[in-house]
Amino acid sequence: MTTITVKLFGPQARLAQKREVLAACASDTPTAGEVLEAVGEACPILAEHLDNSKLAVNHELVTSTDPVRTGDEVAVIGMLGGG
Amino acid sequence: MSPTATQVEVQLTKGALGPATDWRPKGAGAVVQFEGVVRPTESGRSLRGLTYECYEPMTSRMLGELGADIVEEHGLIALRVEHSIGFVANHAVSFRLYVASAHRKAALAGMDQFIDRMKQTIPLWKVPEWENGDD
Repeated sequence: MTTITVKLFGPQARLAQKREVLAACASDTPTAGEVLEAVGEACPILAEHLDNSKLAVNHELVTSTDPVRTGDEVAVIGMLGGG
Repeated sequence: MSPTATQVEVQLTKGALGPATDWRPKGAGAVVQFEGVVRPTESGRSLRGLTYECYEPMTSRMLGELGADIVEEHGLIALRVEHSIGFVANHAVSFRLYVASAHRKAALAGMDQFIDRMKQTIPLWKVPEWENGDD
């Protein structure tokens, strides 16, 4: 089991009332999709707002099948709309 | 040929943006400028303003990459983007985009496309700050 610290921004951070979520993943080598799912489990109020979200790992957008490793900087990139 | 760094400028600024500058790249026949202003209402509710958040350095890097793509796709001369971070009160300018090209149509098309893509892909968030402190 691996716990990944995941950063939140904007409306999602406001909704969760926190800037980081600890995502507990069953696998020692979780995929980005599994980490995002674990974010929803750790913070249920966010779960329905993650459908269109992606993860950034070390400041690069990744696909749901890309691996996330302990020590990576991970952030939810969702609900955009600057400008 | 790929756009050079000097063709695309990105600037993130804390708080509202100041007055526009006289930005006129050499060789331009058309310079288009767009300003985004914080509206006083959203969905019928009164706003004090918006708080913008970014995720640096990813935000600046992706804005630069998007700008370079737009310059290349539309054959532009240069592009400059300015965006606020933090709180911006309503009626103030939070976003400004300059696009320069040889001719009008490319500048207008490039500007429109940059804004559309920015809203879909760039890690920049806005959070409404309602009057009376409502969530």
